[in-house]
Amino acid sequence: MIPGAAPDDASLVRASLAGDREAFAVLVSRHAQSVLSVTTRMLGTADAEDVAQETFVSAYKALAGFQFTAKFSTWLYRIAVNKCHDALRTRRGGMVSLDSEDGEELAWKALEDDAPRRDLDRIELAWELDRSIQALPPLYRESFVLKHVEGLGYDEMSEILGINRDTLKMRVYKARTLLCRSLAHLEGARR
Amino acid sequence: MTHEHLVQRFVDQELSAEERIQFVVALGRDESLRERVVELERLVLGASRLARPRVPQGFAVNVVNETMPSVPPVAAKRNRLLDRLWAPRAFHWNQAGAAAVACLLLLAVGAGVVQALRWRTASVVASSGERAAPAVVLVRLVVVQPGARVVQAAGDFNGWNPSQTPLEPTADGAWTVTLPLEPGRYEYQFVVDGEQWIGDPFAAEQSDDGFGSRNAVLDVRPPSGDVL
Repeated sequence: MIPGAAPDDASLVRASLAGDREAFAVLVSRHAQSVLSVTTRMLGTADAEDVAQETFVSAYKALAGFQFTAKFSTWLYRIAVNKCHDALRTRRGGMVSLDSEDGEELAWKALEDDAPRRDLDRIELAWELDRSIQALPPLYRESFVLKHVEGLGYDEMSEILGINRDTLKMRVYKARTLLCRSLAHLEGARR
Repeated sequence: MTHEHLVQRFVDQELSAEERIQFVVALGRDESLRERVVELERLVLGASRLARPRVPQGFAVNVVNETMPSVPPVAAKRNRLLDRLWAPRAFHWNQAGAAAVACLLLLAVGAGVVQALRWRTASVVASSGERAAPAVVLVRLVVVQPGARVVQAAGDFNGWNPSQTPLEPTADGAWTVTLPLEPGRYEYQFVVDGEQWIGDPFAAEQSDDGFGSRNAVLDVRPPSGDVL
């Protein structure tokens, strides 16, 4: 580690294992937004925060088993995705929430965050895209979110989800096709 | 390589130099292909720009407090409690005290039995109110692959994960599997020897899979009790 530089994840994991509360707080702060992003896209805003918190609690409990050859973020994504699976399974009848307020809240956040570049088309697309992503079947949704929202490559996705690249490509392809179909009316309205 | 396959590889940024030339030539000739690429690129850009959810204030502190309490750990408290319980001590009884304790014990046992009966009744009512399982149709998939070592099916019914649906070989070189499926529309392919993805030549309907071959389309109607 370079003196003065921010400690890397592996050092923070070692310090956390030794009981350093600050080190674990830094790890959580560093990865909270990625984990929250996945849980929000997978579950909607209602459950996202609780599941993100459960992700870190489970990660802490399993920290002793962390393989230092792996990337901490990949390991954490895997826990987050599994937590999302559990949450989806326990929802009534296995149906996924299509609560329109979830997308709306994020779209308005985009408006607040990016005021100088306000663009009604973009806000509308973000709102519709969010709704459409949450309406995807969960297996397609998680692949699309990891690939295009989180920007991961197929190799890392394969490591997170334990599924081969061909299967993941097919899921992402299906998700893209379904989303294009779902958003086609916006395009039609613009013409 | 089909145009759709090129488009998907372009979006995934996996085109080789030769494929890029082929792709640009195809784009110049085909307006609908250009529209498809713009549509997909707009989708991918929109997804990458979606607002990141804000992390609530105090999130990390809450997690740390839950996982690494600064107060003495629960195990230590439990050990102290056990120590106190197991520590030898003297009890002094008189007749009235013993009778009172016996009455309390009888009341506690009685209340426990009544509560257990209530729980049992409640669980019977709850189970009778459960929703019926969705109706399924048994669908048999068959493909002829006499030289294959392993044949699997991947499709919408298993999240395109071939390892979940292996087919069984028959004596005449065919491979078969029977799937319980809810009514709906499913696309699928067979995977031969873990590598080769092929369509189903017996399928009534086909669609482009975006990767150079065709998906079979299976339209499962509401159940009639028969295997299709």
